[in-house]
Amino acid sequence: MLDQTDKTIDPVTFAVLKSAFESIVDDMAYTVMRTARSPIVRDVLDYSATMCDAKGRILAQAKTVALHLGAVPDAMEAIQRHYGDDLNPGDVIILNDPYDGGMHLPDIFMFKPIFDGAQHIGYSVVICHHCDVGGRVPGSNASDSTEIFQEGLRIPPLKLFDRGVRNKTLFDIISKNVRLPDLVIGDLEAQLATCALGEREFLRLTEKYGIPMVEKFLAEFLDYGERLVRKAFATWPDGAYAFTDYIDGDGFDESEIPIHVTITVKGDHIGVDFEGSSPQVKGAINSTLSFVKSATYLAVRCALDADVPNNAGLYRCVDVSAPKGTVLNPEFPAPVAARALTGYRVVDTVLGALAAIVPERVCAAGEGGNTVVCLGGYDTQTREPFIVVDMINGALGARATRDGIDAVTNPSQNMSNMPVEIMEATYPLMIEEYALRDDSCGAGKTRGGLGVVRQYRLLADEAVMQLRADRYAHAPYGLFGGKPGALSRNLLSESGNFELLASKVTRNVTKGTVIRHEQAGGGGYGNPLARPPELVLEDVLDGKISPAYARDGFGVLVVNGAVDTPATAALRSAMAGEQA
Amino acid sequence: MGTITGLEHAPTGARIGVDIGGTFTDLVLADGRGAVFHRKVASTPAAPEQAVLEGVAAIIADARLTPDAVKEVVHGTTVGSNTLLQKVGAPTGLITTKGFRDVLEIGRLRTPSMFDLQWEKPVPLVARRYRKEVAERIRADGTVLLPLDEAAVLKAAQELVEAGITSFAVCFLNSYRNPAHEQRAADLIAEHFPQVQVTSSISVLPEAKEYERTSTTVVNAYVRPVLEAYLTRLERGLTDAGIDAPLLVCNSNGALASSGTAREKPVFFISSGRAAGVVGGSRLGEALDIKDLVVFDMGGTTASASLVQNGELTRVSEYEFRAGISTPSRFIKAGGYMMSVPTVDVAEVGSGAGSIAYVDQGGLMRVGPVSAGADPGPACYGIGGSRPTVTDANLLLGYLPAQLAGGSRALSVDAARAAIARDLADPFNLTPEDAACGVRDVVNANMARAIRAVTVERGVDPRDFTLVAIGGSGPVHAADIARLLSMPRVLVPASPGVFTAMGMLAGDVERYFIRPFAVKLADFQPVEAETAFAALEADARAALAGEDVAEHLMSVTREVDMRFRGQEMSLSVPYLPDRDQLHAAFKAAYEAIYSYSSSDTIEVVSLRVIGRGLRPGKIDFRAAHARVEGSNEPASIRHVYYGAEQGHMETPVYERTRCPARIVGPAVIEGADSTVVVPPGATAEADAHANLLITLA
Repeated sequence: MLDQTDKTIDPVTFAVLKSAFESIVDDMAYTVMRTARSPIVRDVLDYSATMCDAKGRILAQAKTVALHLGAVPDAMEAIQRHYGDDLNPGDVIILNDPYDGGMHLPDIFMFKPIFDGAQHIGYSVVICHHCDVGGRVPGSNASDSTEIFQEGLRIPPLKLFDRGVRNKTLFDIISKNVRLPDLVIGDLEAQLATCALGEREFLRLTEKYGIPMVEKFLAEFLDYGERLVRKAFATWPDGAYAFTDYIDGDGFDESEIPIHVTITVKGDHIGVDFEGSSPQVKGAINSTLSFVKSATYLAVRCALDADVPNNAGLYRCVDVSAPKGTVLNPEFPAPVAARALTGYRVVDTVLGALAAIVPERVCAAGEGGNTVVCLGGYDTQTREPFIVVDMINGALGARATRDGIDAVTNPSQNMSNMPVEIMEATYPLMIEEYALRDDSCGAGKTRGGLGVVRQYRLLADEAVMQLRADRYAHAPYGLFGGKPGALSRNLLSESGNFELLASKVTRNVTKGTVIRHEQAGGGGYGNPLARPPELVLEDVLDGKISPAYARDGFGVLVVNGAVDTPATAALRSAMAGEQA
Repeated sequence: MGTITGLEHAPTGARIGVDIGGTFTDLVLADGRGAVFHRKVASTPAAPEQAVLEGVAAIIADARLTPDAVKEVVHGTTVGSNTLLQKVGAPTGLITTKGFRDVLEIGRLRTPSMFDLQWEKPVPLVARRYRKEVAERIRADGTVLLPLDEAAVLKAAQELVEAGITSFAVCFLNSYRNPAHEQRAADLIAEHFPQVQVTSSISVLPEAKEYERTSTTVVNAYVRPVLEAYLTRLERGLTDAGIDAPLLVCNSNGALASSGTAREKPVFFISSGRAAGVVGGSRLGEALDIKDLVVFDMGGTTASASLVQNGELTRVSEYEFRAGISTPSRFIKAGGYMMSVPTVDVAEVGSGAGSIAYVDQGGLMRVGPVSAGADPGPACYGIGGSRPTVTDANLLLGYLPAQLAGGSRALSVDAARAAIARDLADPFNLTPEDAACGVRDVVNANMARAIRAVTVERGVDPRDFTLVAIGGSGPVHAADIARLLSMPRVLVPASPGVFTAMGMLAGDVERYFIRPFAVKLADFQPVEAETAFAALEADARAALAGEDVAEHLMSVTREVDMRFRGQEMSLSVPYLPDRDQLHAAFKAAYEAIYSYSSSDTIEVVSLRVIGRGLRPGKIDFRAAHARVEGSNEPASIRHVYYGAEQGHMETPVYERTRCPARIVGPAVIEGADSTVVVPPGATAEADAHANLLITLA
């Protein structure tokens, strides 16, 4: 029986307002998708939308890039630092500076404070990954920059609109400092339209229910989220759980970059500490602490029930720390453009530690985050610029009772892919292959998901290519006896023979060059020898795994489209002997 | 069964509309002499035609007609969606361009929910072993890079036929720019393997985006033999019953087509019938001169909403079929079987009369999406269900009569009260009545999300719209939902419970033809477009003729799809042979939806022709009239609870067919197929056409 005496809001109004807020963020997300201009936003869906209360605490989150929103609290702090109470009806604030509330320069945060009369009651928030913010490499995403100044235009919290008046200076500075001003300004307009919609709908609620009731709801909604989280944590066994995963290198140096985590469960609260992780690095994979927090919340959220609301109540129950000067909390002016990769690895590392706490709720490591392929240059005839920012997703690692997923977004993102026909019609390139990568899954009782292969041919005279891959030297881990997934590979051919590239590359390429990425596959879960042979056979019949991999990875002999049962039994018993 | 008179335009013989639902198959017969009959029979999911044939025989008897008097049968079929849901389609193979056999399986990568590591991606309708690649390549500009390897096509087809494949999908990269290879491959297969069916992608969707086109083609190939067999059984059954009349099928876009078209392109008929209620709503609105409305349909497990703006249905160009219930967020291009076909935009939520109410772990009241359905049913049915549902709440509060519509089952108020007290009222320290009000409020808020999805998400303000309430439970909740969204009026048609079947008799035949026409608007040449439009119109007229539409009843309209450079979604604008006018029309349409515009380059994407075959015999709601004059005496008085503020009120209960012309709420109006709630402060007026118009204060 629940004690209702100290409730400040009746359960029905509460449920009704919860539904209303969830609906508003959906409305917002849909508006961005419909109105955005650049492929990275409208096709790949690299953006997110949320509503916050007046203190900047997240209330609800649309089904967009999950990894963005844990960073909102730090951005909000920066706004407070810069503006304090100087927020007025009609203001719109943008920022992207990683050292002043942002994550990396392409992600431009937009906040619209919402006022009911004179009272500040909340914020609409939209974060979009812009296709270019200037800097030395098209797409502003290079992993081999060495300081933030090479990465593009830094925007501290600034008013894009001040009491409803458009800040022409700021618009003009942005326009002049990006390679594709039409798309960047177009996407900013989409953010504006979306913020306005969020504001309008929020005000409809305060109009109907009154500000005091809405404020009570907001407070109780966060408490409700916190309550569900604490209830779950209380069932987790107390103790300290450590895990280490790796990034291959920073683009300058191939030596491994460890991410180390210790999760301490104590009662209904957890601490997540990254002491023991690599010092900050020269290349651009350093990640702001705000983004590390975001990644950590996300991984923990994945281990909780679906009912838990996506709001700031969760953050109250999780303490995240990383020592200053590490790759997870760098000192200015370290470059951070490619920090997404580090976020993925933080998620992998935290999930690895959680596997010891809630083994049935996690999965083995997936592909390790999207591979980014940027090609930028100018049309030789028209001198019109082109920038392709393509993101290759993904494979999910195996689960306790389910195989991983072949070709799927990384759970941190919920991104899509660009249609091949749209790419070919829009950019000077051809896609020669887009396929599942055979044999890339890690073996296990349940197997990992297959990664994908994507092969491009450049049709323009020349371009700057920037490639960011990982899981090149450190394969996606398996769990509980499951084997790691296949390593990724970057290949390039100028004349028909492929050469192997490094995991992170920036170089010039010329017409006819073929670029091929073979993505890592997901890790397996449980002993591969325990996988039912008929499931292995299905994969062989579908060509997802070869007979050789069925034999070596799973101890299953497939001959003429059927399992050779006696030979399989013999092989498995021999392999079991070796395991022992 | 029941009758309404005068619902017809011109007598053209008897016409029957059939809506097949999960529990009931609804039938409506317009007898051609001014009377309309309706009837419900139990559905027969294993062989849906049985219920149809049974119902048709029964309703013909109701109307005292002979089978030969039936001139037309119009129906919405769930066979397409059930084939996908139960995965009982044809063994299907796919022939595609080398390097791209996994396009179908890779899809668009997104997942329908966040933070869910246990999600399962839908299994592709064609397993990888049955997806074969052949060497060929068309460039993005339509020129040939690599000629088609015809021997490889035949070899692949041979292998697939040997493996038991009976239906083929053929989809090559960039075939939307140049279909030669694809057409040739399809012809080769058809020629060498006459026993199989072949669907080429350009025959169903000549548009860019390889995944969407491949998936659409595969769904078509997968469903085709099943739908064909069903339609054959149904037509044979009708013939055996002495009915010698054309069978028309509703497509996903709310229009009608011959069964022949449905056989060939079943992908256009997957949501057959779902939109008929919306078509009916728009016709009803037209008759009453209400041009902006939202059609709200509430059934047992789901509720749905669709927008009619300025008399026009809203359409989407693609949708996904997915198992289970769609979430209210349409922002989830993932996790289903994608079809890029014109479809009436219907948003659905997992809330209905049977939705179960409970308290979750965090102490929050929730309603649905789990439904008690018809079995075990709501607690008040007393047939096994013990958990409180929306129906239990409505019964306890006094909104519903103590028996099911038609008197087929008595309902237990005590059982409803006990379930609500135990599961909701006690944990919250509320009275059972207040808890029941809570259930209504929560489910109303959930259902309002479906309406928001088709209004607010599209930049449309619901306050300017009339809510049309249909379905067995729609009119029980509509007034409260309208208030939630500040909608001023609710329109309840004469027979809300069978309104979908009625809508089928209100539809026109429609066929769509589209051609890519990529050019900057600044370079757009009306002369070139004229040639393309003329060809499309010839196709449209030929197709309508194939549907037996007489020349003088054909209407053909032209549209242009345009967008700002770089956008994914385009907007359709009525065609005007003038660049400046097109420019202005596009900007106006864009600003109306998105409330901002841009000075950026506008691109023309494609040209579109819609051929309509106007149907002389279709239902005209204007011609309907209420048969019985109203009486001012309520049939009974009920004690109804309207929440803590208003408390209990003595509420008059009227019979739908005998209610006064004007009723000031509170009132409950009971019909054979649905109950209408007029809350305190609202006013209901019965018009001359047997509709109720509720005005909210």
